[in-house]
Amino acid sequence: MKYIVSIICLIFTIKCFAQATDKDVIIKYKEYESFDLGNLEIKGSVLAPGDLSVRERERKVFAAGLYNRANFNPEIEEDIRNLR
Amino acid sequence: MKFIIILLFQIFSVQAAASVNDARKIFNTSKDPHKNAHIAQELYKSKYYYSAVVFAKRHLIETNAYNEALETMIEQLILKTGTDNFTTLKDSILGKFPSPALAFVHGIKLFKGKRYSEAKARLALVPVDHKFSPEARLTLGAIANITGDQKTMVAEYQACVEQAKKRESDAGDKDKLARYFKILSDTCRIHMARNLYANGKHDLAMAAYDQIEKTSYRWPYILVERAWTAYQTQDYNRALGIGVTYKSPLLASYFFPEAEVLSALSYYRLCLYDDALAKVDQFYEVYKPKAEELKGLILPQKKSHTFFLELALAPIKDNENKSPFIRQLLTQIRKKIIFNVDLVNYKRAINENKYVRSLPNDYFGKTIRGELQRMISFRTKKLNHFIKRLMFNFVNDIHSMSHEMFNIKLEIMSNKRDLVYKNKQLIADRGRGSHENVNRSIEQQFYDFKGEFWADELGDYSFGLKSNCETVKRQAAEITMRGRR
Repeated sequence: MKYIVSIICLIFTIKCFAQATDKDVIIKYKEYESFDLGNLEIKGSVLAPGDLSVRERERKVFAAGLYNRANFNPEIEEDIRNLR
Repeated sequence: MKFIIILLFQIFSVQAAASVNDARKIFNTSKDPHKNAHIAQELYKSKYYYSAVVFAKRHLIETNAYNEALETMIEQLILKTGTDNFTTLKDSILGKFPSPALAFVHGIKLFKGKRYSEAKARLALVPVDHKFSPEARLTLGAIANITGDQKTMVAEYQACVEQAKKRESDAGDKDKLARYFKILSDTCRIHMARNLYANGKHDLAMAAYDQIEKTSYRWPYILVERAWTAYQTQDYNRALGIGVTYKSPLLASYFFPEAEVLSALSYYRLCLYDDALAKVDQFYEVYKPKAEELKGLILPQKKSHTFFLELALAPIKDNENKSPFIRQLLTQIRKKIIFNVDLVNYKRAINENKYVRSLPNDYFGKTIRGELQRMISFRTKKLNHFIKRLMFNFVNDIHSMSHEMFNIKLEIMSNKRDLVYKNKQLIADRGRGSHENVNRSIEQQFYDFKGEFWADELGDYSFGLKSNCETVKRQAAEITMRGRR
């Protein structure tokens, strides 16, 4: 008996799912929409310059490390190596 | 007269033979634990210096006995044969005797191993009036210089100059010895100048460098250091002028890739970018073929123990087919003091070997011959290695300096790009040079350079270039230039 009730429930559930997927969902988008900016009224003062401008960007400086001589220690050692 | 000379020579030969025979007798019969010292003394008396070294070293290894006579002999053996023969002894042996001569050898050995504090302790045992005092003081000064002990450094270098001068005047007619001590005193002065440079006292360093006479053997080598000193004081014109000295015919055999880099850097600092770039290109043009040529010569022979020595000792006509550059490099190496000192020792060893060959073929004779042969082999390898090392160093210098040149080129390109982005350019509408741009002290006089190198002017040149580092707006400058056309 328990077994039969379970089978009936299962068949009923499958049928419900089948009915839900068969139904087509239609999504409609607005074909045209317009904003009338002329009617917009903005209160305030203009802060940005009128013409097109680009702010100068700080360029990356590549420090290659130019050759420099801090001391002559290798030469000092070489002098001692060259003693008689 | 001729008869007297022959007689004296024969008497001397007989005496020498007698001493060698005594040495053989001791070698074969004596059971004295100090017999090696006696053999060394007999060989030393007969002027078989290298053979004497063999037995002196055996004595040092086997016993702890030491006296004044032994000290005098070892001091002379070091002078006659060089320090190398004794540096092969272990530290424990070199350190166990109260000997200033051995302390000197030990100190130099420790310095070469960068064991400065131990070297300092050993060299301090060499008395101020000792024969090796100038070298010991120089090394002690160098240790203080490297370790930053200013007070000791000044005292040691001053003592070095005093001692070297004293020994130079004592040398009298012995030209080579006098020249050696002159070089030592100059070296001590140069070390002091280097110390001032390292501590940022560039004006004082320049004054110290100027104390070295132009006739000094060290002078051509310190030109590049003087140029660096001028560069550090921002006297780039002087740095360029000193670098030009190497172009004189008198210094044709001296070439320093570093001097070329310094010239390019000086142009760069004056914002004369095109000149700096020309210097960089010139470096590649001149030094690249030189490096290739040298590599072609040395790489196939890098494992040879004799090739480089034979090359350096070959008669001039044998090297005529070599390029002028190789010949000049060999000349530069032959002028090195240590090369000459080692060469003299090498020839002395070969000369002694001729006499040793005539000794009877017994155990004593075989022992000396075997040891002397090993010494000659060691000296051959050492000289050969010295020349090889200098040649490889030169190639390596060219490579590392070409890397530095590349960096300068990159920096110039970067600076040029920045100018374009900022819509600016270097002023560049100035004359190339003027007397006004030459910095000179009150005792310096000014003469125009007309392509002639005068000996008394060498090293005192200065360019008169105006710095081009001022920038102007690109557009404005272009308009001005158009207007002039």
